[in-house]
This record gives sequence, structure tokens and C-alpha cells, in this order.
Amino acid sequence: MAIECLVLGAGQEVGKSCVVVTIGGKRVMFDCGMHMGYHDHRHYPDFARALTAWGAPDFTTAISCVVITHFHLDHIGALPYFTEVCGYHGPIYMTYPTKALAPFMLEDYRKVTMDQRGEEEQYSYEDILRCMKKVILDLSVIPMDLKQTVQVDKDLVIRAYYAGHVIGAAMIYAKVGDAAMVYTGDYNMTPDRHLGAAQIDRLMLDLLITESTYAKTIRDSKHAREREFLKAVHKCVSSGGKVLIPTFALGRAQELCMLLDDYWERMDLKVPIYFSAGLTIQANVYYKMLIGWTSQKIKESHAVHNPFDFKHVCHFERSFINNPGPCVLFATPGMISGGFSLEAFKKWAPSEKNLITLPGYCVSGTIGHKLMCGKPTRIDYKDTHIDVRCQIHQLAFSPHTDSKGIMDLTEFLSPKHVILVHGEKPQMAFLKERIESELGMPCYFPGNNESVSIPTTQNLKMSATERFITSCAVEQGKRSLHKRNLICRTGLSEVIGSDEEAAEGVLLMEKHKSRKILCEDELLEVLGMERHLVQFEPMVSRIVAAVESELQRAKAADLDSDGK
Amino acid sequence: MGDPHLLSSAHPTAAASSSARKHPGPIDERLAASDPSPSFAKRPRVAAEPPASGGCVPYVEADVRALVSMAGGMYPLARAEALRGLTAVLEKVDPSSRVSAGITECCYKCAVELMRDDDNGVRLAVVRLVDACARNFSAKLDFDANGYGDLMDMIFLQLSSMARDMCTQVRMEAFAALGKMRRVSECVLLQSLYKKVIKTDSMGVSIINGQKLPPKLKIPCAAGIFSHGIEDEFYQVRRTACKSLGALAKFSTQYTEKALDLLMDMMNDDMEAVRLQTLEALFHMATYGYLSVQEKHMHMFLGLLVDANALIRDAARKIFGLINMPKLQIFKSAVDGLITSLEKYPEEQDIYGILFSIGKNHGSFSANIAKHLAKEITMASDGELILDKSRVKALLIVSISAPFSDDKHKKLDIPSIIFSRAIPLLEKVSCALGGEVNQDSLLSYLCHKGGMPFWENRSVSAEFGESESCNVETVEIDAHIENTAKETKCLDEVLVMQSMKSILEIVEGAWTMRMSCNVCEVRTILRTCKEELRLLAENSSGSVGAFLRFLSEYLDAILFIVEIWQLIQLDNPYTFGLTSLDILLEKLDMSVRRMEYCYVGLNRVLEVQVLELSLIAHLCRLSKIAVCSKLVLGKLLWVINRLEDLCADGSCELSDFSREIKKACDTNPTGDNLIGSINNLFQLFRLKPRTDFGMLKMINVVLRVCDNDSENPLQYICELPVGVSFKISLWNVSSHHRLWLCMTIGESMQHTFLDFSCFGGNDEVKSGSMVVPLYATPKACSFVLRVCVVMECPSAGISTHHGDGGPSDYVVQLSDELDVYFVSAVQW
Repeated sequence: MAIECLVLGAGQEVGKSCVVVTIGGKRVMFDCGMHMGYHDHRHYPDFARALTAWGAPDFTTAISCVVITHFHLDHIGALPYFTEVCGYHGPIYMTYPTKALAPFMLEDYRKVTMDQRGEEEQYSYEDILRCMKKVILDLSVIPMDLKQTVQVDKDLVIRAYYAGHVIGAAMIYAKVGDAAMVYTGDYNMTPDRHLGAAQIDRLMLDLLITESTYAKTIRDSKHAREREFLKAVHKCVSSGGKVLIPTFALGRAQELCMLLDDYWERMDLKVPIYFSAGLTIQANVYYKMLIGWTSQKIKESHAVHNPFDFKHVCHFERSFINNPGPCVLFATPGMISGGFSLEAFKKWAPSEKNLITLPGYCVSGTIGHKLMCGKPTRIDYKDTHIDVRCQIHQLAFSPHTDSKGIMDLTEFLSPKHVILVHGEKPQMAFLKERIESELGMPCYFPGNNESVSIPTTQNLKMSATERFITSCAVEQGKRSLHKRNLICRTGLSEVIGSDEEAAEGVLLMEKHKSRKILCEDELLEVLGMERHLVQFEPMVSRIVAAVESELQRAKAADLDSDGK
Repeated sequence: MGDPHLLSSAHPTAAASSSARKHPGPIDERLAASDPSPSFAKRPRVAAEPPASGGCVPYVEADVRALVSMAGGMYPLARAEALRGLTAVLEKVDPSSRVSAGITECCYKCAVELMRDDDNGVRLAVVRLVDACARNFSAKLDFDANGYGDLMDMIFLQLSSMARDMCTQVRMEAFAALGKMRRVSECVLLQSLYKKVIKTDSMGVSIINGQKLPPKLKIPCAAGIFSHGIEDEFYQVRRTACKSLGALAKFSTQYTEKALDLLMDMMNDDMEAVRLQTLEALFHMATYGYLSVQEKHMHMFLGLLVDANALIRDAARKIFGLINMPKLQIFKSAVDGLITSLEKYPEEQDIYGILFSIGKNHGSFSANIAKHLAKEITMASDGELILDKSRVKALLIVSISAPFSDDKHKKLDIPSIIFSRAIPLLEKVSCALGGEVNQDSLLSYLCHKGGMPFWENRSVSAEFGESESCNVETVEIDAHIENTAKETKCLDEVLVMQSMKSILEIVEGAWTMRMSCNVCEVRTILRTCKEELRLLAENSSGSVGAFLRFLSEYLDAILFIVEIWQLIQLDNPYTFGLTSLDILLEKLDMSVRRMEYCYVGLNRVLEVQVLELSLIAHLCRLSKIAVCSKLVLGKLLWVINRLEDLCADGSCELSDFSREIKKACDTNPTGDNLIGSINNLFQLFRLKPRTDFGMLKMINVVLRVCDNDSENPLQYICELPVGVSFKISLWNVSSHHRLWLCMTIGESMQHTFLDFSCFGGNDEVKSGSMVVPLYATPKACSFVLRVCVVMECPSAGISTHHGDGGPSDYVVQLSDELDVYFVSAVQW
């Protein structure tokens, strides 16, 4: 038996995560994402090719289930395409928060596709609507909870573990018979203000499929980044400046706002903090409900005070943007590509007292990207010119684990094989080296549409007689005593051998009966036979004598012939 | 390399086998050489708790074997319990004993094997066991440094790898254990701060004692363990990590610098508990003088001074009072920060104290400030510079502190105008100096420096009017006390010890004075010293606290002796009835008894000291009655025997005083010449207070009654028993102590034996509640019951008291006396 792992997306790249694993004859698709960078056929995983390779009539019969780890578009974006265009109607598993927040993301995406109508479309936004409905109305989408064991069918079992990263993100454990594996999705080993660190049990795994976004980077402490951020913001508002924080609606906004709210409380600052309405406020409502998926501190304290009820966040109206005096404003979208964050940017950028904080990553072409690439003094946007004199602070918060985190998790789980996905090829090669040399596990990082086959161990079930077990125990007891004694005497310099010692017995396999291990002397009883002894007589001496006499004779014959 | 002494004493087979060892170390041979099949059958139920007879070697060995084999069992709960059992055994074993090394190594092996166990509980127990092993190893290290250093590094690495566990408790325990490590090499320490693996040549510790480490335990497993710890999701883990981070600072300065960066970041933590712990760690570092702030930390530090939380502000200020600021700029910004804080929270007057100590610690910087301030004062026309402004007040305090600073070698000239302006702030300055400095002398100092001679004359005439000799003495003591008081501010053990020593020197001086000088004066000195000790004791805990209390008891006794001696010499000894001398003698006895029995872990030196006091007490009694009482003589002999016993092995010497008494007793068993020579003997007594106290613990009892005060009395029915429910907490009381609850109504007294076997708690603190019946309630409408807890003193079979059912020997009172109010339920 083997585990077959086909990487449909995120193989040696970041984006469109999609891995299909055949485990014990069951096919499971982990994530169904799309690539934000492409708008051609590379936009989605190549489902059709996979189907022909499997030789199945349709996706519903070919795939046992789809599991979505979290709501980011590169993990869920292709789901509407897969269900509506490819026609998959089987079960889809995702955690409760993912299920709740996925429609927001898809809606967001739908708006974007509406803008890009001119491009060649692989499916219409009606499809997305239908898929959203499916997610919302529970049609074949099954929610799951952390550590809840879900029996997908007779053989296949899946279980979700907490992954950090974003709210509702999960690592998925799947098991068929003796073969077991974990697909991590995106995860974070260090907790932040509102999410905990990834948490998983020690499992016996044949395969671990892990993300490797930061395969080579080791990040320094997040505290330093927080400190820098707070220092910059505090300095700005105390000198009467305005702070613009363009963010994505979910996750980062909450994280930063909690940080600021806490700091405001401690420093007793009175400067108002605003949210520019819309998605963020709606998301806050969801966060308030999904307390069980947040960090330990929030879980402990929410009964007294829900941390998503930000104390220092004030009601905001669009006209406030022209008000004098210091303030902090959270505005979407994160890359200042339009919307309210652009409006605020236009207003505030010309003053050197103000501060703009940029998110860690901006798509090229956006104002955010321009600002990141070096501080321009003047930005031309469409037909307006913006003078940029304000200060710029770059935030380097990332919800992905770093190289050390990947190593730590891999070491903790100690799987027999590791597959890397969701990363850049050169870095993956580096990490592969480390895993193989330091942890001694075979490691692969297949490209898209490549597959890796991994052997699994198969365990045979067999019973043992009482006598056999007793004799084993006695043997082991004696041995361990002996060994302990040895340790006491020689101390640390003695290397201990493995604890597993061989035991002797007879394996009895009969037709229509379960396999059994017996003691040697039990065998006769069980088989109902008598003991026969075969004795061998030592015959060597006789042979030697015969050979010698033969030689003598030959010699004599030689002498005879010489004499002649 | 092998220890020949060990080998020769060992069993021959063991000795033979040891020659084959690759690396002979200080390993116990006895453990190995004994019969390899321990009697499992005889001890089938090896419980987790260690045997009561911890010193009995064969049993410990058998226990360890049994527990080790159980630790390899199938069931996780049993494995964890076995490991806990091993930990308990290790705790009982004396690390200096020979058997300890073998046992510790055996346990350590066992722990290492189970380090990657699947069960959380087992891993938790492993961490605790490794911790106990590390403690024993490092204790062993003190006796013979035999290559255990590498081993300690390895244990550090192993604990580090446990500190990345998925289980919160395990992480917490691992960090706590890391903080307790007593010897780690610098490279390993530094690695624990950086996530990136440091590559240096000194990293070659992966081979230890010629034995390759398991592959997972190379140095990377310690990489950045503290960076992870302080980022942990659970605040308990973060707190422990911060604590350990600070605790390890004493090993390396390079480490301390980096650790400071990490700790400073923790000040943005969202949990108050973590921030406070961080400040405590910083305070700890500052008291040991490891803390040197840099400019990059100042923003954070100054933020702390205006934190909304009063506790945080307070803790931050305390640190400020101790840190060393390398640059004038930093110093100025610190002063500015404190002034801002003062303006924001004007009620927090202790800021002045902190300003003073900052200034004192940085004499030249504050002199600089003083110069600028003097200029400002002289420049400002009248009315412009208001002294009430907190800024000016604060700057004045800083300036005035400069002359008190330690860098006396630099000539710090403070403009005299500063001194004259500081006079209104006299109270604050004296407060900053610890409140113990005489305000008048301080005033005269300020006036003198400020150029106002009038005040100087007046104060001298007011204060030192009595006599010239006395004057000198008092001033000197004042200076001493000033020193000690300043140091009291830092509640650090080292400093406490220093002040304690200087106090004891004063006491010794006072004792020699007693003959020549006025007793009143000696009494004053002793009382001041006692007060000092009390202040110190209030701020310390643990063994130091116990010892300080012991010392104040000791001073009490000295005081009594001085007074008794005076009375003996003055009074006509042949008076009848209860005199003040009797009372004093009784008090002295009590005091000596308390020293003797209320402290656990009294070491030999201290015990000798106490016994000598008890000799003096007996002598006083003898001289008072002037007839040789058989009873007192018997006691005297007992004490002398005990003294001889203690000094038998030569670890301490019998003093002349004791030797003379012994001689007197030996030559004349009736003790007649003893009485004659009491005066001479008394002269022989030398006061030599000792300061090595070891692991001294104080027995203490706190007694409480639930819901009772004079407003809210308990009800009772006359002449019928009534139950009183007590809450009792016992400190350092063990099962062999016999405690009694002593209840007094007027003259009548009832003793009830205190059975604390059912009390919950550990060896250190036990607590529980019990209902005690009071049998004979009086026929009255209300009464007050006085209750206290007393302890029996087993005084060597010499018993004078034979109460009915009460404690049989002398007793010492352990708790304060408590009043319980009763009122009759039936009014008549």
C-alpha cells in the first residue's frame, strides 16, 4: 500500500494551493485555491488533466471529499469553479469560521471579477454566487470543529487541528487504515495578539505535507516589530500627526487594532482611533462570535471584556477625514489600490507630520507597492498628482511560520516522509536539505502536476498466547534489570542499546483462523501432534577414514607405476 | 582519573569491571556492586513516595531500581507516577553522599529515555526529574569539578528542546527548570537568545565525554528558546520565561545585554502579570549591577514611568533608582521622564526618593544638572521661578544628591545656592535618605553648605547638649545607621547581609562598652540595632528573613543580660517576692528557649551560640539565688555536655567561658565555687555573633478565628462546652513537634493537643481548620478567651512542670495571642 500525492497547485510556487492525496484507495483534495497573479489557464489548478489521469467519469466519483483549510482566496478561490464548472457534488469540509467568513472573501472576489469583465472568463460571477449559496445554505458543505474526528466514509477519517495563521485556519489529519498523514495548510507557530500558535498532537504519520513560504528565513522576535510600530505611531500622534493604516479587512486589522487599543489604554492616550466602516466592522462582529478560535488570552478574558469591543475606537464618518488634530485611521484596501484608503492617502500624504504604515506585501502597480519600493516625492495616480511628504513605516507582520517553525513542527510530528508545498523552489531545496540532514526524513518538493508515491507500513493483526506473553515479560524483566545494573555501574559513558529486544516464538497461520504467536513448546499441544526427534549421527570420522584409505591406495598405485 | 578511594572501598567485582570502563567518573560503586536481583517480591507495592528512611542506602537503591523499571511500563499514568517517585527520591538523597551520584545518573538516564514520550503527563514528569538531576549534579559539582560542566550544558540543551513542547505545562516547567540551572557555558546561553544558529568554533560541544550526542540534541535545539518563550501564547509560560531570562543573567554579561533587549520588548505584553514579572527580572538584574541601559531602551523605559498602572510605574521607578546610565543624555531624559511622571501623578511622592538615588548614583551628571539649575535660579528674577513647581523641586533634589554620591574622588562643586534653595525640601531629602537620618543634622549640613551659620550653631546646641563622649558615640552610630538605612532600600540579600554585618559590629562594640559605660546608652544602641533588624526582616524572606528574626531574638537576650547584670550588681539580692529581676530572668529564659526551639535547621555554630547564652542565663539565675540549686546545676551540666558534644569533632572550639564553667563544675559537683566565681566567668563571656546561617527556617504559627470580634461575639451557654472554630497555618512545623492550643480565661487554662496530621499543605506550610471545644465556660454574661499556640520544648528530661493533660515540659509561644469574644446566649 502506498500514499499517492498529486500536487495540482502550489508546487514550487505560492498560490492556488491544491493537493490531491490518494490514501488507502481514498482520494482527498486538500484546498482548492486560485492564483492571484495569473489571469489565464494558470489561474486555476488543472483539474481536467487530473481527471483523465485518474480515469474516472467525473469528479464526484473520483474524489471522496474536499477539505478547505482556511478562507484565503489562494486556498478557496477555485472552489466555485470546481463545483459549478467541473461539477463536483461531493462533500466539502471546512471549519466553522471558514464557512462563516468564506462568503465574504468570495463576495470580495466577485466584485473584482466584475471589474475585469473584459478578460477571458473561465466562469461567470453567477457561479461564484451559486457556490456562495452552497456554502451559506449548507448544501454539501460540512462544518467541523477543532479536534473533532469526522468519519467521512467507512475507512476515511479526518480531523482538524488549530493552525493559527488566520481565524478558522486548520491543519488536517487524514487516516485510512494504518496510513496516516497531515496536511498543514498555512500555519503559524508563533501566536499573535488575536490568534494562538498552531497546536497538534504527537501522531504516527507516514506523510506530512507542509507549507514552506519562509523555508529559509528565520524571523526575529515579533516584539521588536510591535515596539517599532508603536513607537512610530506614538511619536506621530503626540506631535499632532495623523496615522493612516491601510489594511485588509480580516486578521491584520484586528491584530493591529488590539495592539493599539492596549497601548492606548496603558499610556492613557486620548487620540481617537477610527475604522473606515464596511467590511472591517462587519468582520469584527464575526470575530466577537468566534472567540473559541482566537488566542488563549482572548478566550480567558472575553467573559469580562470582549477584546473585539475596542475601547478607544470611535464612531467614524467620512467627513472626519478633514478634521484637524491627530487620529489613527484603519482603511481598506490594504494596498491603497482604491477605495477609502486612497481617498485618505490623497488628503494626508502631503503633510510631513502624518504617517502611513504599509502592509508587508503589496501587488505591483498599486500605490502601496510604489511607496514600498523607495520613497517617492510625487505619485501620479490616474489623472491626479499626489505630493508625498509624510513618513512611511513598513509593517513586517506575517502570519506564516518561519523556517524554524517548520523544522520544529516537523521534528515534533516526526513523520516518515515530508512533502513541501507553497514556497519558492530554491528555498524549498534548502529546507529539503535541512530536513534530510538534520531530521533524517526523506523530503520531496514536487512541482505542479507532479506526483509522489510514498510507501506505507502495513500492520498485521495477530493474537498471542498467554504463555508467550508471560515468557516475553519475564525475559524482558531479566534483561532490563541486567541493563539498569550496567547503567549504575558505568554511568554516562555507556551507550544504551535499543529497548526493543527480540523474543522467540512460533507464528502459526492457519486457514480461516486468526494469526497467532505461540511459545515453542505450546505448538505441539495446539497442533495435537507428538514430538518427533531426528538424530544425526556424526559421520565425519568415517568419511575421513575412507578418504585416507583411498589416498593410501592411490599412492601405492603411483609407486607401483613408478617402479614399472 | 578514577578515584582510588572509591575503588578500594568497592566490591572487588565492581573494581574489576571498572577498569574496563572508558570513562571512569565519580560513580557510586556500592550501588552497582550489590546483588543484581533486588527483592521485588518482598516489596511488591513500591509506592511513588520515597521510603521514610532516606539515608538507608540499600532501600533507596531498590526503590530507584523498581521505579526505573516501572518508568518503562506500558501505561502513561504509571510511567509518570514512577518518574515523580524518582524525583521524590532524588530530593531526599543528600547530594554530597556517595550514593547520590549513581542514583542521579540512573534517574537522568531514565528521564532522557522518556523525553519524547507521547503522553503529556510523562513529559511533564520528565522535566521535573531532569531538573532535580541537574540540581544534584551541580551540587556534586561543588564537591568535585569532574567534567560535569559539559553535562550541565547538555541538560540545558535537553531542557531547551522540551521548552518547545506542544503542552503548556511542559513548556512552563521547562522554562522554570532552565532558570534554575546553576552552570551553563556562555555559548549555549547566547544561543538560547538567537533563533539563528550561531556558528563558532566553540560550538563543538556535540561530543561530550567522547560520547556522541543523540542527533536531535545538537546546539540548534537551544536556538532562540527564550525568543520563543516570550512569544508564547500562554502568559504563564511567558512569565516563567521572563523570570528565567533574568535569573540566568548572572552568568554572562554578553548574554545580559541581549537578554535586556528581549526583556524590554516584553514591556508591550498585553498581560499585566507578564509586565510585572519582567520588571522584577530587570530589578533583579539591576540589583546585581548587570543592567546598563542604552538609548534604544529609553523610549520604552520612559513609557513605563507614565504607565496607567500604578504597580508598573512603581516597579519601573525602583529599577530607575538602581540602573547605571552611561551617558548624560540618557540621564537627562530619565530625569525628564520622572518629572513628567511626577507632573502627571503628583500624589506619588516617592519619585523624589528615586530622583535622589539616581542623582546619587551618577554624581557628575547631577553636578552638571546642579550647575544648570543654579544658573537658571540666578538668572530668573523673583517670582518667575516658583519653587513649588515640581520640575524645579525635582531638579533640586537631583542636584542636592550629588554630594552624597560615591564618586568622591571627583571634586563635585555644587553651587551654594542649591543648598539654600533645598532647605524647604528638607523633609523630602531626609525621606530619600531613608528617613533614618537625623533631620536636624541634615538641616545643619544644608545650612552650612548654603552659607547660613546661624542654623548650625543652634542645632548643635539643641541636639548634642549632654556630654562630649556621648556625642562622639552617637554621631558614629548615626553614620552607621545612615549607611544601613540607605541599603535597606535595596531588598537584596547581599546588601541585607552587609547591613546585618555592620549592625552586628555595632552590637559587639556595645557589648564591650557595657562595663565602662552607662547601661542606658548600651540599651539605646541595642534597641536601635534591633529596630534596624526588624526593618530588614520585614523586607526579606526565606532563610535570610528567618535569620534576621533569630538575630533580633538574640539582641533581645543580650539586652536582658545587660539589664540583669546591672540589677544583680545594684540590688540587694536577698529580697523576697517577684521582683523585676525575676521577670527579666524569665524573659531571658523565654528568649533563649525561642532561639533554641523555634528555628529549624540551626547549624552548629549558631547552636553553640545559643547554648552559651543559655549558660549565661543559668549563671544569672544562680547568682540571683546565690545558692546552688540542684535543678539549675543539672541544667547547666546538661548544656555543657551538649556543648562538648557539638565541639567533639573539632568543627568549632569550646570557648574559654564554657571551658571555665566546665572546669568549675568538674572540680566541685555541688557547684559551690561556681557561685563564687560567677563574676569572673561573666567577664570571660565574649560576644561573637555569627552570620553563617545555612538553611535556617523559622517555625511560625498564625491563628485565626472565623467571624469573631468584639462587635460580633460567639454565643455560648454558661457552664456548657462551646466549640470554637480556628483556622491555623503552620510554617516549617514537622510531625515530631508537639503543639498545643493554650486557651486562657482569667486564671483558668485549658490545653488542647494540636493534631495537624490532617492539615493540608507541604513541608513548609500546612494549614487547616479545626473546631476545639472549650469545656469550662464561666458563669458570666460575656468573657474574653485568650488563645495562643505553644510548642513543647523537650528539655533533656529535666522537667519541672507536671500539669494534668497539658504540655509536659517548658513551652514556647509560637503565635500571637488571640482574643476570642463570647457572649452568653441566655441572658440572666
